[in-house]
Amino acid sequence: MKTTSKKSIVARNKELDEQVKRRQNRFRVLVCINGEDASYEGVKIAAKLCENEVSDIILLYVRRIDQGLNAGGLQVRVARRNLLEWGLELPGIKYLRRGFEMLLDMKFLGDDWEEHISHTDVFGDPLGDNKVEYRGKNGRRIVLKLKTAPDISSGILHQHELGPYNMIFMGPHIQWTTNWRSMFIPNTVQKIASLAPASVMTVRGTCQGNGFLLSTDGSPRSIQAKKRGAIVAHVLGEPVSILGTADDDSDLANLENSVDKLCKDLKKDGLKTGDCKVVVGDPVRATIEAGNSYSAIVVSDRQTTRFNRFFKGSIAFDIMHLSTTSVLNVR
Amino acid sequence: MSKLSLVKDGPQAHVASTTWSARLGRQGYHQLEYFFAQLNFYYFWEKRWFIIAIAVGFFLLNIPTPDGLTREGMIILTMSIMATILFVTEPIPLPTVALLIIVGQVILLGLESNEVARSLMTDSVLFIMGSLMLAVALIHQKLDQRIAWLIVRMTGTKTANICFGISVVSGILASFVGEHTVAAMMLPVGITLITLTSTDRKKVRNLAAVILFSISYGCSVAGIGTPSGGARNAIMIGYWKEFFYDPANPETHRFLIDYVKWMAYAYPMFLIQLPLVTWVLLSTFKPEYHNLTRPVAKLRKQVELLGPMSISNYIAILLFLLVIFGWIFFSSLIGMGIIAILGAAAFLVAGQVQWEDINSGVNWGVVLLYGAAISLGVQMKDTGAAEWVAENFIFILSTIGVETGLGLWAAISLLTTFVTNTMSNGAAVAVLGPITLNMATVANESPILIGFITSISSAFAYLTVVGTPASTIVYAAGYLTPKDFLKAGWRMVIVSTILMMLVAKFYWPYVGV
Repeated sequence: MKTTSKKSIVARNKELDEQVKRRQNRFRVLVCINGEDASYEGVKIAAKLCENEVSDIILLYVRRIDQGLNAGGLQVRVARRNLLEWGLELPGIKYLRRGFEMLLDMKFLGDDWEEHISHTDVFGDPLGDNKVEYRGKNGRRIVLKLKTAPDISSGILHQHELGPYNMIFMGPHIQWTTNWRSMFIPNTVQKIASLAPASVMTVRGTCQGNGFLLSTDGSPRSIQAKKRGAIVAHVLGEPVSILGTADDDSDLANLENSVDKLCKDLKKDGLKTGDCKVVVGDPVRATIEAGNSYSAIVVSDRQTTRFNRFFKGSIAFDIMHLSTTSVLNVR
Repeated sequence: MSKLSLVKDGPQAHVASTTWSARLGRQGYHQLEYFFAQLNFYYFWEKRWFIIAIAVGFFLLNIPTPDGLTREGMIILTMSIMATILFVTEPIPLPTVALLIIVGQVILLGLESNEVARSLMTDSVLFIMGSLMLAVALIHQKLDQRIAWLIVRMTGTKTANICFGISVVSGILASFVGEHTVAAMMLPVGITLITLTSTDRKKVRNLAAVILFSISYGCSVAGIGTPSGGARNAIMIGYWKEFFYDPANPETHRFLIDYVKWMAYAYPMFLIQLPLVTWVLLSTFKPEYHNLTRPVAKLRKQVELLGPMSISNYIAILLFLLVIFGWIFFSSLIGMGIIAILGAAAFLVAGQVQWEDINSGVNWGVVLLYGAAISLGVQMKDTGAAEWVAENFIFILSTIGVETGLGLWAAISLLTTFVTNTMSNGAAVAVLGPITLNMATVANESPILIGFITSISSAFAYLTVVGTPASTIVYAAGYLTPKDFLKAGWRMVIVSTILMMLVAKFYWPYVGV
């Protein structure tokens, strides 16, 4: 019996590994929907980004599990069911449907597609996770996921574990705190930005028309990440500019070389490039001052582990927090 | 032309390396690897408040017991602080807190398990259980559309009048059956009026706020009206009886507050608050539409499609009225809890609701939680912990000269308002009740007056989504933001506090508090 069980675990893991491999050949984007306009801008950008790829767009709405006490012991689902019986849609379903209709209007699935519905019990909540998958004949997929979780960020991170995802799109959150304070005062975007291993884009505006600014410190890791960010800009039809930032003059020559090389590499790859310059000073301030006039800023973490990112924060986080334009944090 | 591919050259999906895990799996270490994978930092981060509560508890139990406090008192005070942290932050499922309170009373305090088990089921707990079952049964009757139509027939189509009508009807119903019931019934009414006005949320932003807050605040101000208006009232009635009533002493019989007595003290305050709710809401959010003719006409069509009321509807209304009759006239004889349970049983016997509906609609863990919180409150009194906290609180207040009279009332109201905005109002009264009632004894004030101030102030949870069940339910519709609660809430807190002070000063002495 034990052997059978072990075999089944191994078989299941093998199946999951194969699924992950299959998904790695697709461009998968997780768009977190909360009903605000910025989240629908994320849907539009995701659709444009994926229009020529074999890709999946997953629209996610996370509903907090109701502990019961706040509703006085009456399950909130009684109220929700009453709404449904009046023919009214629940917020999560309504938000996801709006995102789905936007994608259909943009012909993301083409003219022919199939629907697959599934339900998974999670966290002991009967509502569980509900998934509707639409498979287009053109190979693209849209997944609508209504998820329940103890809190919003846990739900998004749990969904990421079910991935993998190339990018996560989220609306901005104005109340960023210090990393230490964020342990006690929840802030969904900040938590996802620090804990998710995928690239995260905070969407402010349409991300169209003004180009992308790649902000780099010249390190090989940063240059590699910026190249990947530049591809995103290229697919969206945006030119890229490069801003090298250094705290002081000590390593300026190396930074200039790195920026110059990146600029040449991007040109060689056929990408439209704009300004390529280097500034000395506070990297956050310099990047924000220069970047706010662009459609988006592309940054990357210096701290590589989740632990370090969580405790030490990073320049990338500060830029994601303080910028008034969209920011793509490439991992 | 670029040959770059988004999939290969763009941002990459993060996938944990499978090479090692696959090899280890083959060697039989896969399970171990899986175990370590579960030990991630995020788990501890998610449970941080539980870890903090345990650390606080460990610290408090290992410091010297303060003068005037018994060891048992220190233990129960520590448990109360830990429970409060867990109530507010919810790092673990809330019924778990109840289980830990029960275990703590036996293991830490050394009480007999039978004694602890007995303390969990009081008339207050039976009432909470029965009223939740009644709530599900009533919502199941689908009388909401007819109630909505009744409102608009009375008020006409002007937005301000409809909002006032919603507050009045929600309030009157909520004063008898609990705000969660009414909020769940009225929410579709509000959403229907909003969506029939416009499906574009931006165009009805303020209208949605006014209508939904009319439901939520209408219910909140009504919850104080009768003992059956909320769990907190039943808990306070239980505390008065438990702490002050002595069958052998006729002097203490005044601490047996029955249904009618409570209504005489609190109902007028609810009625005065009703127009103030509409005034505060209309002055805070200026609705985009001043007339709702179109949605009202559509609503009328919807109700017409329902046809005439069925016999089942009439039976439901009759049973509901009988339950209220029972509470008013027989609760002093057999207890409010028994009547609530009898009412629920009557709905089940009459086939008005199925047990499965009740079973899935009631969060039984919350009933257990209230039972454990009340049991903890009683232990606070029995071990002297409540008295010790009360004495110290009064001492602190005396340094600023507010240890008696209006100053003390305001301080208690402020404290309760703060606590109730961070957790459910029932839990707030369960935690604070023993302390404030002891403060009344220490300060030589009337425990009934202080009890009413505590219980009524616990309804001033207008500032947060989690403050009252009605707020939590209307927030679930997705039209309101936490900022909206702050925007209207602070005005409501000021208006309600001033009104309660006036009622306490001028009306309650007149009716004999």
